[in-house]
Amino acid sequence: MAAGDAPAMLVADGVSRRFGGLQALADVSFTVAQGAVTAIIGPNGAGKTTLFNVVSGILKPSGGRVLFEGTDVTGWPPQRIVALGAARTFQNIQLFRSLNVVENVMVARYCRSRSGVLDAIFGLRQDREDRRRMLEVADHWLGWVGIGDKSALMPSELPYGDQRRLEIARALATEPRLIMLDEPTAGMTAVEAQELMALVRRLTEIGKTILLIEHNMNVVMAVSDRIIVLNFGEKIAEGTPEEIRAHPQVIEAYLGSEA
Amino acid sequence: MEQLIQHVINGAMVGSTYAVVAVGFALTFSVLRVINVAHPEVFMLAMFTGLVVVQALTQNFLIVLVIAATAALVAGLAIERAVLRPLRRADLLMPMIATAGVSVFLQYGVQGVAGPDELRFPRILPFAPLEVGAITVTSLQLITFGIAVLILLACSFYVRRTRWGLAARAVAERPDIAATFGVNVSRVAQITVGLSSFMAGAAGVGIAVLYGSAWSFVGLLYGLKSWVCMLVAGNRHIEAVMLVGIMLGILEALTTAYVSSSFRDAVAFVVLIVVLYKRPDGLFGSYSY
Repeated sequence: MAAGDAPAMLVADGVSRRFGGLQALADVSFTVAQGAVTAIIGPNGAGKTTLFNVVSGILKPSGGRVLFEGTDVTGWPPQRIVALGAARTFQNIQLFRSLNVVENVMVARYCRSRSGVLDAIFGLRQDREDRRRMLEVADHWLGWVGIGDKSALMPSELPYGDQRRLEIARALATEPRLIMLDEPTAGMTAVEAQELMALVRRLTEIGKTILLIEHNMNVVMAVSDRIIVLNFGEKIAEGTPEEIRAHPQVIEAYLGSEA
Repeated sequence: MEQLIQHVINGAMVGSTYAVVAVGFALTFSVLRVINVAHPEVFMLAMFTGLVVVQALTQNFLIVLVIAATAALVAGLAIERAVLRPLRRADLLMPMIATAGVSVFLQYGVQGVAGPDELRFPRILPFAPLEVGAITVTSLQLITFGIAVLILLACSFYVRRTRWGLAARAVAERPDIAATFGVNVSRVAQITVGLSSFMAGAAGVGIAVLYGSAWSFVGLLYGLKSWVCMLVAGNRHIEAVMLVGIMLGILEALTTAYVSSSFRDAVAFVVLIVVLYKRPDGLFGSYSY
């Protein structure tokens, strides 16, 4: 599909997922090119978050395959997919409320650190060293997303937009090549959404590939290289922002056919 | 006034050992979401291991403490491996009943070997009274209290300031999200039970020396009181559980002194009922499940 372009970071090949009688995803195929921003849009209940859950390993697909950089990761548990290099944020923010801001990011380093129990018990110095490094990386990414001065606060003390930034920092701390953002501007003011768009652009500048679920069409049209449209679990369109804007089926899905 | 201070000090000494057992109990509950009914029996096993070591090997308190606590650690890890791990995905009730079985097995198993009566535990620590004004503290009390406080501080340091402690807190709140970020949940569970058992073992030896006795059913009341400490404090902050443990010891000492020793063991449950009535999440908050 992306022949001649950048190589594929992620390939979904006929992915399906059923919940009882509900076909949440039906034979969805697409390719995410390396270094690109790919957006998934569609009305509520179109299957966008289900698709994220399948790609990130939280749900197993009922059919189809997911390839990450050529590796078949279908049905892998989430921690293996994170360790391989694909991290995500959550639509309904999933931070550790009892850990402070910097600790939330430090947790993300467990997939990149290897020191064992014995190190913790007999090698207090080793443990301290590992912890120091975790702290360094966490501080770096907190600064990078712009909340470096808030590392000692609890997540609940952060404004909503900063909680989203914290989730992004936590995802970044896993050293991902692909970042999946699930409605990063949900509940944000227009100004906050603008700032988040700038953040997404900076992510691509440091070489991250981005898969984005987003309802805010201004954001989608402004940052995406490619857009995939889902409706009732099926892919109904795919293309550049210009193509999608003019696509009759997309207009119908969003505005309704009787209009 | 001196009398009151004396009772408070005596109570704090006993309470510090409640705190050590209760913290292990609470850690296990927070991280594994399991009520380990056999936890106080691990404490009891350490007492008897200590007794055997004293009779067969050495009177050196430190050596006895380390061997007995290590025995408790091994017993705790065995319970984790044999009972808790296979039931990890089971309903809360199943590991609770299974560990209750382990607990009864250990109580009667030890009774079968050691007999139904309290055994005398030799005073392997110096019993020198230190007097400050009208207040008397024995060196025995001070040493056991000091060890309990050291264990509590180490435990707090572990939970707040080490990598595995951070992992434990993350797992306690959201095991699913923690696993997603590469935290090895079953390893964290194993370490938590091991650490809790080791602490309980150390407390067991301390109590045995302090009271000069060992008894196969000593775990019953300790277990219930640990449970009370955790519920009264809430399991969100282990330091709160420690504090409540020490407070409970003081409250019991005061009850014995000013009300009646018959009521001593009832105090904990009166406190529990009052606190749960007013604050079902405990005084300092609990993780919500």
